[in-house]
Amino acid sequence: MSRRRGAWIAGSMVALCVAILLADYIVASPKSTTAARLARKSRDNVVAWVLIAGAGAFLVCAKSAWGRVSYAPRAGRSSPQPPYQTVAGYQPAPPPAELDLAFIEEAIARLGRGKESTIPLLQAIQSHYRYLPDDALRRLCELTDITPAEIAGTSSFYARFRRSPAGEHIVRVCHGTACHVSGARQITDELRRYLAIPGGADTDPARRFTLDEVACLGCCSLAPVLMVDGRPAGKLTPASACAALRELS
Amino acid sequence: MKGKGWQFLACALLLLPWVRILPAQTVPYQRPVETAPQPDSIGGGYRIPVVQKPLPRAYWLQILDVALLAAAMGVSIWLVLARRSRKWLVGLSIASLAYFGFYREGCICPIGSIQNVTVALIDPKYSIPIVVTATFILPLVAALFFGRAFCGGVCALGAIQELVVIRPVQVPRRLDRALGLLKYVYLGLAIAYAVKPALIRNFLICRFDPFVGIFRRTGPPHMLIIGGLFLAAGMFVGRPYCRWLCPYGGLLAWCTRLARRGVTITPGPELDCGLCIDACPYGAIEKMRAVGRNCLYCARCYDSCPKHRQLVRIS
Repeated sequence: MSRRRGAWIAGSMVALCVAILLADYIVASPKSTTAARLARKSRDNVVAWVLIAGAGAFLVCAKSAWGRVSYAPRAGRSSPQPPYQTVAGYQPAPPPAELDLAFIEEAIARLGRGKESTIPLLQAIQSHYRYLPDDALRRLCELTDITPAEIAGTSSFYARFRRSPAGEHIVRVCHGTACHVSGARQITDELRRYLAIPGGADTDPARRFTLDEVACLGCCSLAPVLMVDGRPAGKLTPASACAALRELS
Repeated sequence: MKGKGWQFLACALLLLPWVRILPAQTVPYQRPVETAPQPDSIGGGYRIPVVQKPLPRAYWLQILDVALLAAAMGVSIWLVLARRSRKWLVGLSIASLAYFGFYREGCICPIGSIQNVTVALIDPKYSIPIVVTATFILPLVAALFFGRAFCGGVCALGAIQELVVIRPVQVPRRLDRALGLLKYVYLGLAIAYAVKPALIRNFLICRFDPFVGIFRRTGPPHMLIIGGLFLAAGMFVGRPYCRWLCPYGGLLAWCTRLARRGVTITPGPELDCGLCIDACPYGAIEKMRAVGRNCLYCARCYDSCPKHRQLVRIS
């Protein structure tokens, strides 16, 4: 409340000074230099300083009285969907080709069809197709003693197995302690936007990049760090992470 | 356009014309006496009295002004980009307003130096001190690399408007953009009037500088009134002169297009709250990204950011 009173007092002081100066300007006779005119001039100089000081006081009071706007996030403002540019030369991903399931039979013949072969079989499928296609798993259940429940349990337990197709390049962003404190989260978020990866997914629609948050890449001195297909880039910022992606892919 | 070498190329381009006018830096001052009545034509043994000139400012003080300008820009860049501190930037604005505004009385300023530089490039008889050249060039070079650092906390005209902002409204973007074209018109007019022959030459920017009368506490009454109106409007519309009229702002905006380091808004999904957009009185944040050519280095976006405040408290 006192701030407002101060603002009003200082404001009226400013108005008074302006009024004095305007009055002096109106009554001034520019033709002759009289003692009265000189006196008025020196008084005006003082008034001008008072005006400037009053304006300063008014601003200080007015800013603290009316200037503080409590900004609150607007309800309607969603995460922006601007034309975040994606990597140049993007082509939509080709429709997944018909899976060649002959590999499954070959792998089973090599690794055995018992329950104890579940993990080796899944590893073989994963390294062949780069992920675990549903069709391949169904075929696996038909040909072996392994049940769908076991496959679901095993493949969802181990982080190394993935059930959705991976992108052409695997980008591993380190989220170890050192990288975490130096902004791995911001870098991941920026890469997600840059690659236009929708929320919940880890691969961009064109399947060029798969973004993987990993525990530690073991080069904490370079934090924050990421790795594109085994080639590392360190000391990143959100902007330089995108540049590193362009360079390394 | 934001390639690495572009700024240096632009720097070289900026400095190139000065090779030509370097000789002009030493042209001694002469009154254009051809047009005045000469002693012969007056007759009666008339002698021209010794002209009393006010002593120029000591040379080292002029150098000091330029050094302070450069230092203030460096501090502005550091405060905004590294410290991200609005509080200290306000302090710098007050200091610049006191020194470049009220103490140096708004002269020498890069905005007005556009005209001196133009005339020096056109008129071989016109003398321009190296100090003026430096004042003109330095903010442009800074803009090539960091954006309009001069506008925030260094320019006295900017500082006085920065300090009067109380409750800014967001100007509709299209209106903002349309009004922003005025500064190029003004720039063109100022150059057109500056390149006229010496006798009818007119330095529009200095003549119609709305704030210089306030710095000098004297001046043509209509300009004082216009300056007062600008400041009164500036309480609710952020820095109207800088955004829509300042001709030097137009040049800085051009240079800023090449700048690779400047104010940036780091995005984050939990942080796309748009508080910085609301806080920016100059409409310089579009689609959650800072637009360098409109950004006046006020650091309000950082000041309004909850995450940033948290970070500052931790570190």
